Amino acid sequence: MPHEQITLYTAKICPYAQRTEIALAEVGAPFKRYEIDLGNKPEWYAPKVNPASKVPAIAYGGPDVPPENPSPESTKLAESLILVEFIGDLYPSSGIVPANPVQRAQARFFIEVVSTKFGPNFMKFASGNPEGTHTVLLAGVDAIQDLLPDGVKYAVNDQYTIADIALAPFWARLTVMVQKGIGAYKDEERKSFLKALEDPKYAKFNGYVQRLLARQSFKSTFHEDVVAEIFTKRFGLAK
Amino acid sequence: MSEQLTLYLHKLSPYSAKVELALVEANAPYRAYQIDLPNKPEWFASKVNPVGKVPAVTYGGPNVDPDDPSPLSAKIAESNVILEFLADLYPDSGLLPKDPVLRAKVRLFIDVTTKQVEAPLYDFIRGQGSYDNVLKGIEFIQGLLEEGTDFAVGDHYSNADACISPALARLKIITETDLGKFPVGMGYKLGEELKGPKFAKFRKYAQGMLDRPSLKQTHDEEYTITFFKTRFTERVQ
Repeated sequence: MPHEQITLYTAKICPYAQRTEIALAEVGAPFKRYEIDLGNKPEWYAPKVNPASKVPAIAYGGPDVPPENPSPESTKLAESLILVEFIGDLYPSSGIVPANPVQRAQARFFIEVVSTKFGPNFMKFASGNPEGTHTVLLAGVDAIQDLLPDGVKYAVNDQYTIADIALAPFWARLTVMVQKGIGAYKDEERKSFLKALEDPKYAKFNGYVQRLLARQSFKSTFHEDVVAEIFTKRFGLAK
Repeated sequence: MSEQLTLYLHKLSPYSAKVELALVEANAPYRAYQIDLPNKPEWFASKVNPVGKVPAVTYGGPNVDPDDPSPLSAKIAESNVILEFLADLYPDSGLLPKDPVLRAKVRLFIDVTTKQVEAPLYDFIRGQGSYDNVLKGIEFIQGLLEEGTDFAVGDHYSNADACISPALARLKIITETDLGKFPVGMGYKLGEELKGPKFAKFRKYAQGMLDRPSLKQTHDEEYTITFFKTRFTERVQ
């Protein structure tokens, strides 16, 4: 069944926005991509697309108009996790939303843990917040690893799902930062974090995140140079 | 649906209430088991929810007594995750509409309710939050309500309505009784402000939710008021 037009307002730097780009790539949906310069947002963006002025946002349906001239007839949707579920609903046979209710619940619980135990701590660490220590980051890693089943490729089973999509952009940005020493944290914290992850007890987690970063839909939507450059400008280098 | 579903809950927990509302509105069979939160049975954390919180659901597995959960049942926690699970088990119940755009709108309503209504309201009741944030949240959620409809989204009771109703029930209590840890009189003040013409759409929606039999079935107002009286004796200034 042909769907209505999808216009995605996004930004290469933004991990929330990348979630929706990965989802669209996974389902193979045609869509128009419009980059929003987060440091210099177009004045039509908040009034016509997303009053919260954030990315990602989707304009769905309505007439075929250029992205910078959104139509009042399209439905405007926001919030990255809601958009990922929306894309899953538009393309149910893609499998990004698991087929059975129990596995769907597992995927959504995984996402809750990413949102509460990992996401906020990543920003604290990057910005040099004293609460953002390597210990706190590792607690997030532990919480995620505790949920990973044994012997399967991804968070819920061998199928790549919304759970994996929720984590991948965040893990990738953290990886870029700690490998290049970008961020306002102390370099000691970075070293402690990397050292801790070498422990064999994190084998399952390390295998899992490697697979996340190797996924084609992730690679085609991740712009490492942009991320490195903007994070360096924003947070500086670790001392 | 022949699989068993057991809901572990607490009478005073608004998060438990959300789930029970959805079950009742969907006409879904379930068993309810009250967990005495201050005196949790040790099997609850080890066999049902490691975090030890309610609501939690067991689904499937053999038909065992609720206080003897089987390792074979699926264990699901987090109220909003459980709401989605119920919508998946009962796709024709209306808990989530079938249309993708309407589903997104239900989820958005839930997201806004969680962040801008529940969190500020419960903080306020506990003496930690700001009065202004409560009002702002109510105004924001009112903006999502459509004219002339009884429900949050579309023309059927959904997870969005289940999600916000326990908060509405507690809002009613604090505005009518002024019970809570917030400064004396602020509950009444909030009630007065919500009576204004600016909040007509919200009031109509809220009253509709409070009048539903499912709410009366799952919310013991007297019991909750008594709890507020004993719990919130000290008021912040």
